[in-house]
Amino acid sequence: MEDWRRIDIDAFDPDSGRLTLEDMRPPYGSHVSLQELQPKISQLRSAAASGDFKTAVQIAMSDPPYSADDATKFQYLLAVLEVLTQVRQHDISTILGQLSLEQQDVLVKYLYKCMSIPEGQKQGGILLSWFEKLTQEFGVGPIVRYLSDKNTV
Amino acid sequence: MSQSIVANFKLVKGPIYSHCFSQDKRLLAITFGTDCLVYALKAQGAPVLVATLPDHDKIVTAVDISVHGRIVTCSQDRNAIVWEPISDGSYKPTLVLLRINRAATTVKWAANGYKFAVGSSARIIAVCYYEQENDWWVSKHIKKPIKSTISTVAWHENGILLACGGTDGYVRVFSGFVKGLDSKAQAAGSPWGDKFPFGALVHEWYHGAWIQDVEWRSSLEKLAYVAHDGSLNVTDSTGARFSTFSPEGLPFLALTWINDHEILCGGYSCHPVLFTEGSKGWQFSANLDKAGPQPKSPSTAGSAGNEDSSEDLPFGLSALQKFKQLDLKGKVTTSVQDTTHENAIAGLAPFKSTNGSVTEVSSCGLDGKIIIYRV
Repeated sequence: MEDWRRIDIDAFDPDSGRLTLEDMRPPYGSHVSLQELQPKISQLRSAAASGDFKTAVQIAMSDPPYSADDATKFQYLLAVLEVLTQVRQHDISTILGQLSLEQQDVLVKYLYKCMSIPEGQKQGGILLSWFEKLTQEFGVGPIVRYLSDKNTV
Repeated sequence: MSQSIVANFKLVKGPIYSHCFSQDKRLLAITFGTDCLVYALKAQGAPVLVATLPDHDKIVTAVDISVHGRIVTCSQDRNAIVWEPISDGSYKPTLVLLRINRAATTVKWAANGYKFAVGSSARIIAVCYYEQENDWWVSKHIKKPIKSTISTVAWHENGILLACGGTDGYVRVFSGFVKGLDSKAQAAGSPWGDKFPFGALVHEWYHGAWIQDVEWRSSLEKLAYVAHDGSLNVTDSTGARFSTFSPEGLPFLALTWINDHEILCGGYSCHPVLFTEGSKGWQFSANLDKAGPQPKSPSTAGSAGNEDSSEDLPFGLSALQKFKQLDLKGKVTTSVQDTTHENAIAGLAPFKSTNGSVTEVSSCGLDGKIIIYRV
């Protein structure tokens, strides 16, 4: 038998269902809705508008809406992108220095996510300098954790 | 070679996914391709090959030796084989039909040596034991609620609790109680529960990343595991969990308890890392076998001296020197390997211990080396 690798062995076994997308999702207790998230988004925007980027980034990177649906996540993502792109180059290091381990991991997720959408790609330069400073500061740890984390933003 | 290395054996040209020593530490079994190789350790010099166990026809993924000296191997050919030592030094194989439709990934004997558990990609753990009446190894399955490949299993010393971890990101503790083989007294007073029917899910933790290795500390009723996000986690029956991360950020593939408050981990950073439990919980404490930022050693000082002299050379010759230094001379990178393992560490096992504390640990790596470290 030449093409034995192509045999779908699961087809013969009704019990051995494949992993579905649902199986890959972490078990969330509750789901965050857009209404619940709205206050946080406006808090984020007002902190950024007043020029307090340190607070804005801290808020954005704490307790991100992992359990929300894609549309809600996208709204939050746009707000985060807005904050990240407003920060001036030379402030990045200071802000990074004040992030906790969890916040660093969340920041990496948002950097990758922002780079993946057209809105973020327009601001690619600043995102890349965030990324560069982050890896200089914290090494590959946050990236390894990003790759293996099933909590997506 | 750094001070923490006791022995360094380059045994095979290929990855060693799993290794195991016999109870008396005289025999060493390693996986190599589709075979399992058995070596006798010598007081001086390299181990001597005494037997090749060839019956598998796909990659052998794991090997374990029981207290009685029986070797069990499992392979991607979906079978396990129990190798009974015979007095002339050879081994008599007995095939164990696991009844799984995908690769077997890991195998561990229970402490009493009468049963073993095999993890597989078929989302099944097969608990196997010998049945006298039929002269046959029976395989019983634990299926629910495993969602993905089981990459590691570990038996509690009581022989009933079976911890496992896999690529679905869950660490689970099942009951591996086999009627007629185990007695209820073995798990009497266990903080994990009162009743342990076979296959019952005793506890589960969601971690998210792939679980690479789990190990019990039976005396403390604690469970430690390492995951692919570079974390080391220690947990117990209350579900309280303490996590700490690899200092280099690279994931660990193996761990072993040194004593009640120390754990040694090894993985993609190619050298073992020691973690200690202090007043602030588990924390990184030391790198074994890793040269730190090198102070100018005599040899580099010597080459620096050469550079000085090269400045005096005529222009053309100094350019020649420069390109000579750029030349990799057949190496892949110019960076110097500062660890004894040249590839990831795939497994760790305690080798020697005194007063309940492990003093020497053996490791196997994807570079085909077995290394014994002094902790």
